[in-house]
Amino acid sequence: MKVAPPPETFRLVIPSQTRYLNLVTGLAKRASLVAGMDDATAAKVSIAVDEAVTNVIMHAYGNEADHLVEIELRFMPTALEIHIWHTGHGIREDQIFLPDPGEYVKHPRKGGLGLLLMSRFMDEVHFLEGQERNECCMIKRVE
Amino acid sequence: MADLSIQIRDEDGVAVVEPMGFINAHTVRQFESALEDLVAAKKYTILLDCQSLNYISSAGLGAIMGLIETVRENGGDILLCSLQDNVYAIFDTLGFTQLYRVFANEGEARQALAGKSE
Repeated sequence: MKVAPPPETFRLVIPSQTRYLNLVTGLAKRASLVAGMDDATAAKVSIAVDEAVTNVIMHAYGNEADHLVEIELRFMPTALEIHIWHTGHGIREDQIFLPDPGEYVKHPRKGGLGLLLMSRFMDEVHFLEGQERNECCMIKRVE
Repeated sequence: MADLSIQIRDEDGVAVVEPMGFINAHTVRQFESALEDLVAAKKYTILLDCQSLNYISSAGLGAIMGLIETVRENGGDILLCSLQDNVYAIFDTLGFTQLYRVFANEGEARQALAGKSE
């Protein structure tokens, strides 16, 4: 039986500081283009990655600058998988509350939009709790 | 090059704010502070000219959202113009194009404002 080769991967580890966001989103956009997405889709992937990494820095690590965020881009045959690992506070999928954009329009307020953008711009978003580290996994299929 | 620079000018009582670069969690405080300074100076009609804005995350949207009620309560508004496609996609995806008036360019936005004041 022929075993499928492992996916080609690209890994980046950054300190938990927002000054590195541009570096990560730039990489995510370029990777999306390499995976075969068009410019508009690649821009959406980069926004989703920005939101996910920002959540890790601000919420999982509480803005503490001396932690690490590990980002792995996996080039699958029909999708780009983005895995983001951290050792901060994890989040369970049943804790996720996606705001209704219509309610935002009626009652403007700050906050809560990042997860909504992630879910709208990616095909799948998962939050996984591990023994030693937690993960956000996002998948964008290539048309 | 800085991640974000902001130019502000007054055009017939309209504060035209032109952010250039990226608005994300790292730069949002600079953007938010510029808007707050305008509101503190009682400049309640604000036009965000986004022609040089490459990118805005939810942090930037939150900054705009945080001031919209204040400016409208004072008879003003926050308008948007010249959005790049990816920036427009973010606003549109979240339904913000219903909340804010969006114009193709600064001229159209100022024309609409002039019409309102006549």
